[in-house]
Formats: sequence, C-alpha cells, structure tokens
Amino acid sequence: MMLHRVGTLAHNTIREAIRNRLLYTLLFFAIALIGTGVLVSNLSYVEGERILQDVGLAAIRLMSVGIGVFVGVGLIHGEVERRTIYTILSKPVSRVEFLLGKYLGLVLTTWLMLVVMGVAFVAVSLGYGAPLDGGHLTAFGLIAMELVVMVAVATLFSSFTTPMLASLFTVGIYVLGHLSRDLRQLGGQAEGESLKPLANFLFEVLPDLEAFNVTTAAVHQLAISPHETLAAVVYGFGYSLLVLALASYLFARRDFR
Amino acid sequence: MERESSVVVRLEEVVKDFRPGFGLRVKRVLHGISFDVRRGEIFGFVGPNGAGKTTTLKILMGLIRATGGKAAILGNDVGERGFRKHVGFLPENPYFYDFLTGREILNFYAKLSGVPAAERKGRVQNLLDWVGLGQAADARLRTYSKGMLQRTGIAQALVHDPDVIFLDEPMSGLDPIGRMQIRDIILRLRQDGKTVFMNTHILSDVEVLCDRVAVIVDGRIRYQGRIEDVLEERDRMSEIVVSGLSPELAQRVEKEFAAVLRGHGEQIVIRLSEKYASPVLRLCLECGAEVTSLSPERTPLEDIFMFAVGEGERDRSQPAACSDSARRDAATPLEVRR
Repeated sequence: MMLHRVGTLAHNTIREAIRNRLLYTLLFFAIALIGTGVLVSNLSYVEGERILQDVGLAAIRLMSVGIGVFVGVGLIHGEVERRTIYTILSKPVSRVEFLLGKYLGLVLTTWLMLVVMGVAFVAVSLGYGAPLDGGHLTAFGLIAMELVVMVAVATLFSSFTTPMLASLFTVGIYVLGHLSRDLRQLGGQAEGESLKPLANFLFEVLPDLEAFNVTTAAVHQLAISPHETLAAVVYGFGYSLLVLALASYLFARRDFR
Repeated sequence: MERESSVVVRLEEVVKDFRPGFGLRVKRVLHGISFDVRRGEIFGFVGPNGAGKTTTLKILMGLIRATGGKAAILGNDVGERGFRKHVGFLPENPYFYDFLTGREILNFYAKLSGVPAAERKGRVQNLLDWVGLGQAADARLRTYSKGMLQRTGIAQALVHDPDVIFLDEPMSGLDPIGRMQIRDIILRLRQDGKTVFMNTHILSDVEVLCDRVAVIVDGRIRYQGRIEDVLEERDRMSEIVVSGLSPELAQRVEKEFAAVLRGHGEQIVIRLSEKYASPVLRLCLECGAEVTSLSPERTPLEDIFMFAVGEGERDRSQPAACSDSARRDAATPLEVRR
C-alpha cells in the first residue's frame, strides 16, 4: 500500500468537505447549540457552569457524530453513483487504498470540526467563568476516538448499501453501542440461560461507545483513570481496524455495474 | 514472438454473468468473447446499446470481475494493479469532482498515478493546453460544458503518459465541433504511438479513426477485422433518383455504368457504384432529366453492423438447446479473423 495515494485521497475528501456549504451550516448550528448552554444554565439557580458544560459537550458529541454519519453514509456510495470511482480505480490505486483514503479524510474532517467546536466551547466556558482542566481535554480526545469508530461503521455500510439504509444501520449501531453495557448486564440478570451468551455476543460485536463517554466526569471534575482512557483509545483503534477490514473485504468483492 | 509482443490487449473466452436483484437466476451478458488489440492501433469496439461493450471495458479496467476466461493488458492479468500506470481510461459521460478546478483535478489524478512532483506542474499545464483548456484551467469544473468535461476526461486519462488509452463512447452527447476536437485528439494519440481502444456505436467515427474493429452483439463477437478490408470488400454504392429519363438513356446507363434501375411511377431510382455517380449525374442533366436526389448507400461497415444485429436477433429466437460454443463455431459469412 502506498501512503501517498491514501494521503492524496484523504486530502481531496477534506477539500470536498471544506468547499461544501452544508457542512458550514451544520457547524454553525453546532456552535449555536453550544451557545444555548448559556441560556439553559441561566434557568438554574445552582451549578450553572456544570449545566453549561454538560449541554455544550453533549451538543458537541451529538453534532460531531451526526456530521460524521451524515457524510460517512454517502462516502463510498456517492463515488460509485457519480462514477468518480471509475477514473480513480483505473489508476494504480487499490480498492483498499481508496477506502482508507476516503475514511481517513472524513475522520480528519470531523476532527477539524471538533477543534472548531472545541474553540467555541472553551470561549463560552471562559466567558461564563466555568472551570476548564485536563479532564475536558480527555473528554474531547475520547469524542475524537468515538468519531474514529463511528466513521468506520458508516464507511462499512456505505461500502455496500445505499445512504438511506446505511444511515439506519449506522444510527442503530450508535444507539445500541451506547446501550451495549446495559445489554450485557441485562443478559447476566436474565433467567433464561440462552440469553446470557446472546447478550455477551452482542456486547462483543457492538461497539462499546460508553467507553468514550467521560463527559460527566469531566464536567464534575472527577478523576479520569489514565489506564481506562488508554484502554479506550486502543479499543477504539482496534475496533475500527476490524470494521475497516470487513469494509475492505466487502468493497474488494463488489462489481461496479 | 514479435507478433505476441505487439498484442497490447487480449481477451480469451471471457464470460460475464450477472445476478439481477436477489434471485438465483443468472443472466449471461458476455458469452466467451475473444479479441486482440495491437500496439499503436486505434481499435473500435462497436455494438448496439446493451451489447456488452461497457461490461467488457469495465472488466478490462478491473471495475467488475469476469466470471470466466482471461483478460490481459500489456501481458498482465486485469486483476493486477501495478501495470495500470501504463493505462488511461475515459468512462462514458465522465463525472469529476465539480468542486475542483481543471488544474486541481489533473493534479489530483497525476498524484494518484505517481507522476513525480517535479514533473507534475509542467505536465498538467501542457495537457491543459493540448486539449484546449488552458484558458479555463482555474475555473471550477461545475462551470464546464459537456465538451470541456470530455476533454478534461481525456486529459486525466493521459496525465501519466500511458501507453494504452481506453475510451468509452468518447463522442457521446457532443456537438459537431466537440466531436471534431475529440477526433483530432484521438488521431494525435495514434501519431504519438499510443494504442487506443474505443467503445462506440457511431460507425462514421469508426470508419474515420479506427484501424481495426470488432462488432459485439448480445455479448458475442460477430465480426472482427481491419477497417481497410471492410471498406475494400465492396464498392461503396450510391442511389440517384431522377424523373423524365428516356428509355434510351436508361438503357445506356444500365449498360455502360453497370447500374440497376427500378421505377417508381415517373421517378426512376438508379443504383450504381459511387465512382460512376458523377458521370451519370452529368449525363442525366445534359439529357434534360430532372435529378431529385443523390445519396450514398449504407457503408460496408454499416452493412456488417446491421447483419450482425440481425444475426443476434435470429439467435435470440432460436431454441436454448443451441450451445454457446456451437454458436461460436458456426462461422458467419462475415467472420473474418486475421
């Protein structure tokens, strides 16, 4: 695999996003949502700063994953539909390089947007006098990791199905991914013996997205274990690699009719 | 050995099956096609819509996989990737990232093709000038006309200086000026020693541009041969429609110019070799006959094309018991394999 080809494709994906006005609208909407934290916090007599940061971080998580999924589900399908993929694959570019280039480009785009949203969050927090520390940075880092996983999932579905179905599947995985720990716990408590392995299987297959959620700890300035953070990062990259390997396998077998 | 090395593209008994929808039914769209393309020639791959031209080209480009048979470019199996730096491809009705400018898109393809950074800028500028897009190089592709996009498509196919160029319906949807420009570019490619494989259903382009041709109908090669041979195979014929032709003059035209006359009331249709059209026309006018029209008949290539299409229709109406190999073996009068 040649990294320069993956880099060229990633750069082009970022350039496409930067020149897309719709993404600016979404970004503006995300920043506006972070700003609404100020309004909501004013409604409370106590812990206004925490409410502000809670709303802000939740808005950032939701909007960044939303943008990642929104762009990701059409990432490969759009190239096949518009037939731009024909000229690219006729060059010395493998399908895996193509897929990775598009994926990497979208991850970097969502990270770029995360940085912009982060700057807005810091500005609003400082303006309101809310405290900021390393916990917030860890929370942002793990949101970035959640994006790595969710963009991989969106890319997987985009590699073999339509954007509509890919959206449904990806959003489904996102919701279940946040519930996967609860599913395993419920399975453990169930009376039927057959439910336990099923719950465990679902926990293994679905992404454990709660591993990337430390916003409550960050907002309440609780200690965040560095080991758990590192484990979440390793898990995020590992899970994404497996998903991308599956996407590459399916994509390599496709006929572009 | 020399003949082998001159083969740039080779298809041997290539079969392609598709499975429409989710059913178990399989539809065969290519029935064991075979042909060669030789170095430095313009090869026309001709057939009606839905004959299998684009499917064949997609197999060659690695966009779909053949169900059976062998397909190779420059001696490499089409499933490999390294040799693609020697191959250029223009798809039918190409679409490019319209948020990029002409210069940016060529830079993008040049990078993907591994053109060294030092050469890239000059190569892109030269190509833009070569295809007549130098003035519009920094405009976004969404502002380009159909003809300009087609020329951009040719430029991206050439950006890495390939040896073989595959063009899928390069004249599709172009106005006469656009067609002429693309035609000139293809002829210049041959002058530069490139091999060009061209999918088309416009026979006049094939006659003007191509050295050899293969006709595909319903996923079967019905004819392949040199254009020169096709054109020499038979005289081009013309038809002159006249009125007020005296019986004596009619007899003279029949005898002296080997013409066939048939009457439609007052009007007589004279069918004769194209080379006699001018003298007969002059003679008719001198003798006071009124000439209504003079038109060339179908070209030999059109004849072959129509025959092949007709053969395809006959095959479809035959019972399924007739195997594909039996059909291939039954050489048609038009099958010239050189």
